[in-house]
Amino acid sequence: MGDESGVGQGRVGQINVVGGGRRSGRSESREEVPLASTGQAGGTKQEIEMQVSRMVPKVGLQLLKQGKVSPQSYGSLLGMRATRNYANEAMEGSKSFAVGMFKGQLTTDQVFPYPSVLNEEQMQFLKELVGPVSRFFEEVNDPAKNDSLEKVEDSTMQGLKELGAFGLQVPSELGGVGLCNTQYARLVEIVGMHDLGVGITLGAHQSIGFKGILLFGSDAQKKKYLPKLASGENLAAFCLTEPSSGSDAASIRTTAVPSSCGKYYTLNGSKIWISNGGLAEIFTVFAKTPIKDESSGAVKEKITAFVVERSFGGVTNGPGEKKMGIKASNTAEVFFDGVKVPAENVLGEVGGGFKVAMHILNNGRFGMAAALAGTMKSIIAKAVDHAANRVQFGDKIYNFGLIQEKLARMAVLQYVTESMAYMVSSNMDQGSKDFQIEAAISKIFGSEAAWTVTDECIQIMGGMGFMKEPGVERVLRDLRIFRIFEGTNDILRLFVALQGCMDKGKELTGLGKALKNPFGNAGLLLGEAGKQFRRRTGIGSGLSLSGVVHPELSQSGKLAVGALEQFATVVEAKLIKYKKGIVDEQFLLHRLADCAIDLYAMVVVLSRASRSLSEGHSTAQHEKMLCDTWCIEAAARIQETIASLQSDPQQPQLFRNFKGISQAMVEKGGVVTNNPLGF
Amino acid sequence: MWKASGCHWLLTKADSSMNCIRRTILTLDHSVGCHFFSRAASGHSLWQPERRCLLQSFSQSLRSFHSSTARQTSDSEPLPMVKPPGMPTKTLEPYEDFFEQASGGKRDKSGFSKAVKTFAQRDIRKRGHVDFIYLALRKMPEYGVEHDLAIYNLLLDIFPKEVFVPRNVLQQIFNHYPRQQECGVKVLDQMENFGVLPNKETEFLLLQIFGRKSHPMRKYLRLMYWLPRFKNINPFPLPRPLPKDPVDLARHGLERIAADLSARITVYQMPEPEDLGVDPPQPHIVGIQSPDQQAALAQHNPARPVFVEGPFPLWLRDQCLYYHVLRADLLPPEEREDKEIGPERNFYYPMQLDLDLDRGPWDDYEFDIDEVEEGPVFAMCMAGAHDQATLAKWIQGLQITNPALAHIPVVFRLGAIGGELQLAEHQEHQGQQNEQQGEQVSPKEVEEPSLVQIQRQAQN
Repeated sequence: MGDESGVGQGRVGQINVVGGGRRSGRSESREEVPLASTGQAGGTKQEIEMQVSRMVPKVGLQLLKQGKVSPQSYGSLLGMRATRNYANEAMEGSKSFAVGMFKGQLTTDQVFPYPSVLNEEQMQFLKELVGPVSRFFEEVNDPAKNDSLEKVEDSTMQGLKELGAFGLQVPSELGGVGLCNTQYARLVEIVGMHDLGVGITLGAHQSIGFKGILLFGSDAQKKKYLPKLASGENLAAFCLTEPSSGSDAASIRTTAVPSSCGKYYTLNGSKIWISNGGLAEIFTVFAKTPIKDESSGAVKEKITAFVVERSFGGVTNGPGEKKMGIKASNTAEVFFDGVKVPAENVLGEVGGGFKVAMHILNNGRFGMAAALAGTMKSIIAKAVDHAANRVQFGDKIYNFGLIQEKLARMAVLQYVTESMAYMVSSNMDQGSKDFQIEAAISKIFGSEAAWTVTDECIQIMGGMGFMKEPGVERVLRDLRIFRIFEGTNDILRLFVALQGCMDKGKELTGLGKALKNPFGNAGLLLGEAGKQFRRRTGIGSGLSLSGVVHPELSQSGKLAVGALEQFATVVEAKLIKYKKGIVDEQFLLHRLADCAIDLYAMVVVLSRASRSLSEGHSTAQHEKMLCDTWCIEAAARIQETIASLQSDPQQPQLFRNFKGISQAMVEKGGVVTNNPLGF
Repeated sequence: MWKASGCHWLLTKADSSMNCIRRTILTLDHSVGCHFFSRAASGHSLWQPERRCLLQSFSQSLRSFHSSTARQTSDSEPLPMVKPPGMPTKTLEPYEDFFEQASGGKRDKSGFSKAVKTFAQRDIRKRGHVDFIYLALRKMPEYGVEHDLAIYNLLLDIFPKEVFVPRNVLQQIFNHYPRQQECGVKVLDQMENFGVLPNKETEFLLLQIFGRKSHPMRKYLRLMYWLPRFKNINPFPLPRPLPKDPVDLARHGLERIAADLSARITVYQMPEPEDLGVDPPQPHIVGIQSPDQQAALAQHNPARPVFVEGPFPLWLRDQCLYYHVLRADLLPPEEREDKEIGPERNFYYPMQLDLDLDRGPWDDYEFDIDEVEEGPVFAMCMAGAHDQATLAKWIQGLQITNPALAHIPVVFRLGAIGGELQLAEHQEHQGQQNEQQGEQVSPKEVEEPSLVQIQRQAQN
């Protein structure tokens, strides 16, 4: 690891930090914006700041870009409230493809061509890293032993520290490796390929554990904590979950009461299932603090993030939890009993912990997809090895259609996940602030694809796969948690669907406002009218990927555009039908999210395969097959879902049945029916 | 002599632009129908004095014979030829007494159809059938047959067949038998107003009477185009005719105001037939409550009273019902639990979408909407009597399904049935095209004295 080149590498990684700082600066300068315009009464000062900070003056950029409206005309659109909690920017100027697809737009800026953000130097540096890391995991680390010991072996830990694996994204001047997100993803992929338990230890440490310091920490905090964290001398942990609080921020019970002198906070409470909870020295802790609203004088409890050292005293942890998988990683309950946390250890703003938590989670997700892409790679290798060597009826089993289909699907899933992971990391490295939906999609898709791939691998291997020895069962166990932690897939599906609907809904609201002044907004309205007309008459929206997708993939490109149009139509119809109430239509949201995931996946593989084809990679034709396979199946799935949402008269009946059956089960406390034998 | 003068008058009044011959035929037809002398009309200025005396003497002498009261001629009164402008006078209807006699005094469908059939069979030439049909149309609501398709077909059947069908191009171009055609249109008009959908029989009759290109036939086609489209336009349909049973009526009324499919109707007390002479009398009590209301009542703070308020009017077509509500006052702001989901509630997904899609693009956004917050309504009822004793029984009945109600003080705030209803009712009938209804209105909405009135609180 050449330190001399590390300086250069650190640059990209630092952009995020600088960006975060600038954003908060902007919010301070705009405090005077009257609250009345946002229409929210009783918001605290922090809320105002947060809202204002999100009213980034990009509103209407999209429209301007299309040259359809004059600058005056979109002024009427500005009146609407632009609150955006779960993603950073006001969406009208969003370049995110996922945001665009809910609106029926092909926003190709971020996805086409497949981004390559690494410069020569960074690429070279990464290549130098990949070799030793791979070798380390192949030669030093023993995943089976870690699993049975239920801890990462000391020698492995030591080796990882020497490799610098604990500070991959810490700037090099603070003792880290200073990798950008894409470089980080590549290394995490190698970790995921070999040992997910170690991956969790590393991830809980740097992906969420001290990511808060990296993103929101003051210079003093960074200087104080990051060097020791980067070297691995101290481990970090992220303490959010409580027995009573999973996703619900309001039910957090841990409290941090400021002292009368204002110099420290007294922290009380407990956090459960904390990865590295038993090993960590530094904790990012979220607790409720009483905040006085300056305008009304009312005291409200808001969440604040703290950096807590174990050495402050009063921090204890329970024994390591017994788990199904990722046994090598340490998971423990952490207790805070009267811990005195200095006021300078507040992360971000006082009362701004919600934002901190969200940013950390959003920023950490892409790594998971990368790690899982690696896992799939190694699992597929095992499956292929078995399929290529196992002989039945005098024939290698890879000649059987059943096995061929399984292998092909596994390859497609791996290809999609890998493409997504690097697409998202590259977008983040490009400085995009609008990757939240994509990151969530990559986490959902990656965790489910990896589960399917591993499951199918065991199936191909038959009884052999069920045995401990080949190590696939361990991977299956390890994988299970990925669909649960950092936001369960179900909850992230709601996020994907609702965030998309929110942006689409804002567009619709804007359109309604524009109609108030039809002559001033003639361009916008004519554009919309034309879109509706084309959609109704079935001419199609005129969208096409023909310019950006490689000609050989034009068929798949058409499928993707068709699916996007159908998807946008149904999103619009459902939004108009349910309006705000769409948040409660979870049956619908689930289906919308599934479509969104498939759609994004299609575009991602189209982009990657196009690049390979146009650059003439040796595997280009194979990638074309993978891409076409995925697109054909995904388009069919989307079409089916959309058709049933749009016009299936039995769909409401189905939803009612789900409701009724589950209600009866809850009343009965289990299965409602009796045994067919009658007793 | 009268006949001749009438004929002469009509001839002189004939519009010069019209076909003279046809006009003669028409007026003849009309004058033939006039032999009951009962049509009163003020005449042309030239001969008015003479006519007026004539009329006065006749009408005065006739008035003693006719039982029905004279009515004002409205604009819809079909007197296309004889009615001079700006001179509304009291008129007598031809066939008025004939109708009464023929119906045998029964004011129902059988009486009506009997009268019509008697007229149809009386004379093979169907003299005065136009006047008769106009009269019958006016009489329909009185006999309660205004929604009956068979009666309309029966009325159309009075027209002589094939006489008015144009036989050549000229007849087709010009208004062939305009008075008869107009009468036919009026029949269809009334069907339209009462929402009666014509059927094949109507079409067949019109074809036979007026032919294919006639005005009534065109009217029929228009009706058949629009009425089926509007047939189900009411999202809250009521049965026709409305049930007579007060319990059933209350059921319909309550379902309408509750507007909640999950709401359950409970009959707390069936009405005792009056002839049994039960003392005290047992009025019906029908209540409605939805599960949501039940849950809200269960959560109500027992320290705060709930109120029984009413009676409030509810109109079901021409029937006015009165209902009572069980409600509470709005909680003062300091006691309200903060159920609002803040923007920083969920770490993973937005729990609220901040959209303003409830108003359409054409709505007036500048319109100042003053949203009045009201306290919750827990239940509603309709009872045969509006006194506290009856409503207390309702509350007792409610306590069975809402045990929490036993611990909540109930205050009865009962008012009188408002006097302004009279006005509303008056307007209602004005709106209808048939004035005869006006006579019919029974004094059911007479102001009832308030039985129990607890002082309305100052806030009201």
